[in-house]
Amino acid sequence: MPILAVQGVTKRFGPNEVLKNVSVALDAQEIRAICGENGAGKSTLVKIITGVHSADAGVVSVDGQPIEVRDPQHAQELGIALVAQELSLAPALSVLDNIWLGNREVPLFHRRKEFRDRARAALEKVGLGDLPLETPVSQLSIGRRQLVELARMLTRNARVFILDEPTATLSDVEIERIFSALRALKAEGKTVIYITHRLGEVFQICDSVTVLRNGELVGTRRTDEIDRAHLMEMMLGRSLGEMYPRWESKPGEPMLVVKNLAVPPVVQNFDLTAQRGMVICLAGQVGSGAIEVLRALAGLVHDATGDVSVAGQAMPLRSVAAAQAAKVQFISEDRAGEGVFLRLRVGENLVAPRLADHSRFGVLARRGLRASAAKLAEAVGVDRARLRSQADELSGGNQQKLAFGRSLGGDQPGVLLMNEPTRGVDVGARAEIYRLIRQFCDRGYCLVMASSDIEEVLGTSDIIVSMYRGRQIATYRRGEADVQRVLADITHPVAAA
Amino acid sequence: MSDVPLRSRFRLGVRLGGARARHVVLAIRVIAGGGIAIFALSTPGFTSPLSINSLLNAISFIGCVAVGMTFITITGNIMSLALGATVSASALVFLASLSLGVFPAFLVAILFGVVITAVQGALVGYIRANPLLVSIAALSLLIGGAAIATGGQRIYPGGEGLQVFKGRVAGIPVEALYFFGTVIIGQFVLSWTRIGREMIMVGSNLRAAIAAGVNTARAITVAYVLAGACSAVSGVLLAARYGSGDMELGTGYDYTAIAAVLVGGTAIGGGSGSVVRTLVGVTVIAIIATVLLLRGFSQQWQYLITGLIVLAVIMLHTIGERR
Repeated sequence: MPILAVQGVTKRFGPNEVLKNVSVALDAQEIRAICGENGAGKSTLVKIITGVHSADAGVVSVDGQPIEVRDPQHAQELGIALVAQELSLAPALSVLDNIWLGNREVPLFHRRKEFRDRARAALEKVGLGDLPLETPVSQLSIGRRQLVELARMLTRNARVFILDEPTATLSDVEIERIFSALRALKAEGKTVIYITHRLGEVFQICDSVTVLRNGELVGTRRTDEIDRAHLMEMMLGRSLGEMYPRWESKPGEPMLVVKNLAVPPVVQNFDLTAQRGMVICLAGQVGSGAIEVLRALAGLVHDATGDVSVAGQAMPLRSVAAAQAAKVQFISEDRAGEGVFLRLRVGENLVAPRLADHSRFGVLARRGLRASAAKLAEAVGVDRARLRSQADELSGGNQQKLAFGRSLGGDQPGVLLMNEPTRGVDVGARAEIYRLIRQFCDRGYCLVMASSDIEEVLGTSDIIVSMYRGRQIATYRRGEADVQRVLADITHPVAAA
Repeated sequence: MSDVPLRSRFRLGVRLGGARARHVVLAIRVIAGGGIAIFALSTPGFTSPLSINSLLNAISFIGCVAVGMTFITITGNIMSLALGATVSASALVFLASLSLGVFPAFLVAILFGVVITAVQGALVGYIRANPLLVSIAALSLLIGGAAIATGGQRIYPGGEGLQVFKGRVAGIPVEALYFFGTVIIGQFVLSWTRIGREMIMVGSNLRAAIAAGVNTARAITVAYVLAGACSAVSGVLLAARYGSGDMELGTGYDYTAIAAVLVGGTAIGGGSGSVVRTLVGVTVIAIIATVLLLRGFSQQWQYLITGLIVLAVIMLHTIGERR
């Protein structure tokens, strides 16, 4: 008998049917991935299971008993625990306090031995056995916080754990920690629902995968029965061809030369020469300094120092204006916070850095701006009919295309710096972003990318520079590197550079 | 397995989709606008020349300040509590320098207003000082400075020729013409110039504007400069009308101005809005005030009702913004 099942669940928001007659059944000791593009209905399904939304039709049953999940509190009482993306821990409190926070079975004084022991036991199960109970949560990395959150759910006798893109902001080491915690939970007989955009993780950690598309159930498969291509086909409803484009490396003249770059407190003595028509990738996890290097080159780090030249001309650091004057454009790792003006129109976003080119004496040439926006939209594959829509109505992938379009303006190809270009972008749009990157190459741009997604690094780069804690570990030409070597470099480098 | 009817539940709070919420907000606006129009037109004496005239005057004095406030709000700096004092102080400066002639005195007053707010804008823009705190400090400085400079006395001008700033042209009060000029210039700056677009970008998302290479400090400073210039225009008009001035002249203007900006529909968080919207907001508030006056409500009632309207508008916006 399945532990948790939904049968024929349908949900409408106004005229939109976001879930249509979806049925899923989960067994004990199972890690189940739920996959689908943005808008496929994954989050809505989870919200129905956890009592945030109520279904318009259909049944949720726990242990074979049809049950009406009233609200998230009720879901917890039923043993269904949502490990939220935005963590619900109180940063100022200790690990122990957080584990017992809001638990109604706990008396006022929860620091007694019994409760310390139970917290300790739960932490051990998620691989945090050596973590002092008094550590304030604010001192923990995001990955460890998620583990504490898992431990917290364990103390509440949760049987079904739902994780919504837990690895989106984690480094590989932390992801591995989460995975071993999940395997331990499974060995205990627990059930895990794992929502992710990263297909690699589906095959790494999950027993089975349920695919949703446009609110409909495409199917559920065992992960040992299908392969990646098949899974992608299920998600997209068509065959994708290949995720990564094929290309010929065509190195041009050196474009960006960096010497002795220091970005306090992480990076020191960073050197790099990047050529036109090439993608150079700085591969590293959070804390490796890869992202910081590109932010510094974009003029966004106020205490960065070093000698940088672009096309033979010296470029001052610490000024976005100077970087832009040297034709250095930047795509941020934080799309909503820094990359896109969500409340401005699509067209206004595309021409944002080009106002000076389209104005005389400070007065805008609005016709020129519109024409320019239309051209850029076409170049990056954003529907021209959407130019007047607000940017926050676009999907993550389309928003990222706006960021690329913005960088494309101007008549001469320059340098494009990209931090985590496909973070939060779904599979279909991801392939388009990779094609865009190659198009920038073909136009003669010099591209430098920072990424923690090793598959992406290998699939898109001409040159790979692996980084660990602010140091460059190794440099590989295309074809020289493989997953194991890069992973080893960026997690625990053997040879110090 | 049996079909268990799932309870459909009533939930507290309003849950609306984005597009639908916007339609609802629009509908509420139209209904409210219609209601106010009926309310006004059914008030005896509302359409009399005298009442229309005083309505236009009220709109003009507050309106100039509200146009200025729009720039501050749109750059994401909420509001300035010192604009009312800037109105009064620039009125005093105008009156004190009338001996130079009317036009030079006008320029001196505008320059004064600009300098006062430019300093505040630079503090907010370049060193990221909290805009509300800066404006509170400026308010205090202006009141103190004016009291010392004037010895606490009212100022009566020595010069002549204030007709340029009052009276009528083609039956329209001159004040209103200056105000409409301010609106046109303000809207032009906002939607047709580079600095105007940059102000909107800064208000929409400061970090994104920095990353896009916008000179954010300059955009914020210019917004404050425009606010100062607009407030000074209001100060000059008031000084010309009353022929004398003290620091009470512009009291409360900042509050009514922010109310007008919000009622017009400029986002309090910045990044969207327009001067024309503010014009609508000012008109709505002035009509309500006039109608209340004509119907015999006291000043206190006007404050109360303006307060209620602002509250209602803020709630409406919050619902409209919710996704």
